[in-house]
Amino acid sequence: MTIDRSRFDHGMTYDAYKAQMTRNRERLEENEKRVDLGKEDLAAFRGLPRPVKVLVLAEDWCGDVIANLPVLGRLARESGKLDVRVFLRDQNDDIMQRYLNKGQFKSIPVFVFFDEDFRELGHWIERPASVTEIRAKRRNQIFAAHPEFGSPDAPVDVLPEEVRVRLQGELAKMRDETTKFANAEVIRELREIATRVAA
Amino acid sequence: MSSAHRVKITYCAECGYEPQTLDLAKALMLEFGARLSSIELIPWEGGTFEVSVDGQLIHSMNRDGGFPEAAAVKDAVRARLSGSSR
Repeated sequence: MTIDRSRFDHGMTYDAYKAQMTRNRERLEENEKRVDLGKEDLAAFRGLPRPVKVLVLAEDWCGDVIANLPVLGRLARESGKLDVRVFLRDQNDDIMQRYLNKGQFKSIPVFVFFDEDFRELGHWIERPASVTEIRAKRRNQIFAAHPEFGSPDAPVDVLPEEVRVRLQGELAKMRDETTKFANAEVIRELREIATRVAA
Repeated sequence: MSSAHRVKITYCAECGYEPQTLDLAKALMLEFGARLSSIELIPWEGGTFEVSVDGQLIHSMNRDGGFPEAAAVKDAVRARLSGSSR
């Protein structure tokens, strides 16, 4: 299976993707507003010598899509250099099979960068490893600071409801506090791939 | 005398696991009726899908991968029910 212009053009634009979402659109657009694009990053994307095509695999129920696709959406809109086309993962398994996470998981979002001749520049899956790492560390710290939350590896259903609600609040706060770092890491990794495009 | 048996299904609400949660809850309701004292659905996060019966974890997406087969969950519940009625 190869991606060519004809297949790529069948994908949805970012706005068309948003329009067909059946859930989480509000969260996605809220995240879009929160993306902080630095001048230097924006200049790097605006300065790409040629436009770059970005194929996206997504589904509207996935938390990593809701968090990270808006970063790409903002970069595309504000740089004018990224042509984004979104494909639904579950309707495009042939593409998904080509970009499995660790060769086995159907993790999304997937962003595949191509030059204008559809030569692949690189691809990006799910979220930066640095984000997974910092959130796991912060999660462990939360559990260490609150013995009432039990073990980080234990099922949450053993916790009394009131404790569970507090744990949920702590985790949401942690995610919120790490969002700025997460977005910056996504931008850094996408920039590294996009700038491989030759003049 | 039989004791109360509780099933808890913890599912990732962010991920949209509601259909699988409801399918499993319905299968258990139809199979066991009032022999279960409760089926609790717990919206959670982080890709979770866990099923416990009387506090014993019988399926974890993290540990076991994927969603459980309804038949396997029914077998685990049946084992608890028959254990308590002996």
